[in-house]
Amino acid sequence: MRVDPNLSSLLNAGIQGTEQALNTAVQQVASGQRVSVPSDDPAAAGANLQSLAESTNVDRYSQNGDAVLSQAQMADSALSNVVSELNQAITLGTQGADGTMTSENRAAIATQVQSVLSEVVSQANTTLNGVSLFGGTATAVSAFAADSTSPTGYVYQGNSGVNSAAIGDNLQVDVNVPGDQVFTNPNGNVLGSLMQLISALGSGSTSDIGDAVTAVRGALTNVSQQRVVYAGVVNQINAQESYLSQETISLTSQQQSLTGVDMSTAISNLTQAQIAHSTILAAAAKVLPTSLLDYLK
Amino acid sequence: MIGLNGSLSIATEALGAQTAALEVTNNNIANANTPGYSRQIVSLSSAASIQNGTTVDEGVSYQGFTSVRDAVLDMAINAATSDQGSLTAQNTLLTQINSAFSGTTTGIGASISTLFSDLSALSTNPSDSSARQTVLSDAGALANMFHQGAAALSNASSAANQQVSSAVAQVNQLSQQIASLNGQIVSAEAGGGDGGALTDQRDELTTQLSQLIGVSTTQTNGTPTLTTTNGSPLVIGASSYQLQVTTAPDGTAHVLDGQGNDITNELSGGTIGGAITAQDNTIPALSQQLDALASQFATAMNSAQAAGYDLNGNPGAAMFTVPATGSAAAGITVALTSGSQIAASSDGSSGSSGNVQALLAVQTNNLPSGASPTNSYATLVGNIGFAGSQVSAGLTATTSSLQQLTTQQDSESAVSIDEETANLIRYQQAYSASARVISTINDIYTTLMNMSLGDG
Repeated sequence: MRVDPNLSSLLNAGIQGTEQALNTAVQQVASGQRVSVPSDDPAAAGANLQSLAESTNVDRYSQNGDAVLSQAQMADSALSNVVSELNQAITLGTQGADGTMTSENRAAIATQVQSVLSEVVSQANTTLNGVSLFGGTATAVSAFAADSTSPTGYVYQGNSGVNSAAIGDNLQVDVNVPGDQVFTNPNGNVLGSLMQLISALGSGSTSDIGDAVTAVRGALTNVSQQRVVYAGVVNQINAQESYLSQETISLTSQQQSLTGVDMSTAISNLTQAQIAHSTILAAAAKVLPTSLLDYLK
Repeated sequence: MIGLNGSLSIATEALGAQTAALEVTNNNIANANTPGYSRQIVSLSSAASIQNGTTVDEGVSYQGFTSVRDAVLDMAINAATSDQGSLTAQNTLLTQINSAFSGTTTGIGASISTLFSDLSALSTNPSDSSARQTVLSDAGALANMFHQGAAALSNASSAANQQVSSAVAQVNQLSQQIASLNGQIVSAEAGGGDGGALTDQRDELTTQLSQLIGVSTTQTNGTPTLTTTNGSPLVIGASSYQLQVTTAPDGTAHVLDGQGNDITNELSGGTIGGAITAQDNTIPALSQQLDALASQFATAMNSAQAAGYDLNGNPGAAMFTVPATGSAAAGITVALTSGSQIAASSDGSSGSSGNVQALLAVQTNNLPSGASPTNSYATLVGNIGFAGSQVSAGLTATTSSLQQLTTQQDSESAVSIDEETANLIRYQQAYSASARVISTINDIYTTLMNMSLGDG
């Protein structure tokens, strides 16, 4: 049987093949990526996009957590101030309930309680970046404003809306506790009880003052309960943060294994391609110049 | 019994035969690298006649030459060339599409993620105007990415159209050349000769034609006929039939046969077949998915917007506008003009982020297509990749089988310089020997002449 005398076309095809393999190997080593266009591995390219979307989400959950955390910490510290103010009001009220007090003394105590009230209101109107923390979802205005027609002297301008933010797939945390739930809650009305104490001190009735002090104690209990909500949010976010940072690592390694290249494999592929290429070049150099004519001299 | 004169004429004929053989060898060597050339072998036969009941050898007779070729292999090569042409055309287009959709940190998928991520930021501070503006510009960026994706697909489609037009022009030119060669071959063979180099040229042109369009070759009463795979004639004997290209209103190329019938859907193989497959099947399927994603995504976002209120307490307006006709991906635009129009609020108050959840739900809920936006896009990219890898794997396989067929054909038909060199020496030696015979006979004549002169 006759054989193909056209060694050059065979060798050309071979050289092209090894050159292609060499190109691929160099590209993979240089880019660190096995999949640079979807056709390199369609399934991996698709899965990689899903994984990247999840990574973006995880980054966002973590940022949302940070944002909620700073609001919760700020609100918690405001409430902590309110607690100490209320404790001071209870001390003042207990003094005022003492039967030996003169009306001048009680008036002086009432003034002090009044300043406690203003301090509490200013804590209730705490803002972060222009957002009223205790205004419910009506965050553009101060939560409480002075209003002479109101029995407490203040009116709640916010609403009872609660925002929540996603800090995980299907995991939401509440961003705020509405101000009416903290400061004008019927089960412990902070502003109402302080106002009650001021007017009881003005009336001079020790039993009224005693009732008012009890009401302030009730308000203190309520505020402490509401603080627990924030503490819970802070705990949840901290726990979630460590989960999210693990999730980031596992998603990154997922993406790496989907589209990235294993360096040791890539380098051994490169070496193989190099050897194959130089082998075929050496073969071409040896075979191509040989002809019968060389021997007919 | 033949005399010296008989020997002399045998030697003279032998000189002629070896010269002819040398000429054939020379021609083979000259065409060693001519594409499509089939090596020729010389036919020599011993001449003899019967005189008075006895066989008388009369030397060698040169019977001309024949080209060595295998018609079955030629057809197999043409078929493989056709496949290769088709896959090459598709591969060019799909490579282009694949690189347009290769983005991981940019592109539609990344833009969707960014949009939802920035929307999610609104949940902690819905009244932040810069955060709202960011969402709005994310939506614009996403619309832009949809435009780019749609443009990549429609560019590939017009490239396919271009391929069809220029390939049809080449097909027409080749058909004409083949028809005219057919005419020349018929007259050459009528003279009793071998079409030789003319047949080689025609076969080479037929292979080139196969690269452009799938052809089938038949012989009807000795007349070679070339038709497209669906039977539309390209060449019958010495006449050629011209194809035409028209562009449909949707921008796709249509091929008409000599009678003006639309044969676009019946063509297969070659650059034309490949480009038509891409233009009529592959690319429209991908465009359809992209358009479905754009329009379903827009609808889902718009209805999520409608469930809420914007910063000013107005009911949420549509976020995207999708054209009623034509490509949704190419025509999607952002309908909102201000970040304040993002419907984050569920109760109309500016600080509410209650509706952000509804907007974010679009990311995880299934669109009517049956998958979430991100998964739909991942599927689309997977399909693009799959189409590309399928074609490129097919191309690799076809190229290697074509290489094998070519090797097989070369082993039959290609010129081997070594072989021709050996033949050269063989014919040269035979020529020298015949020349020696003539000079020997000359010597004998001289001896004879001298003998008779000496006697006289």
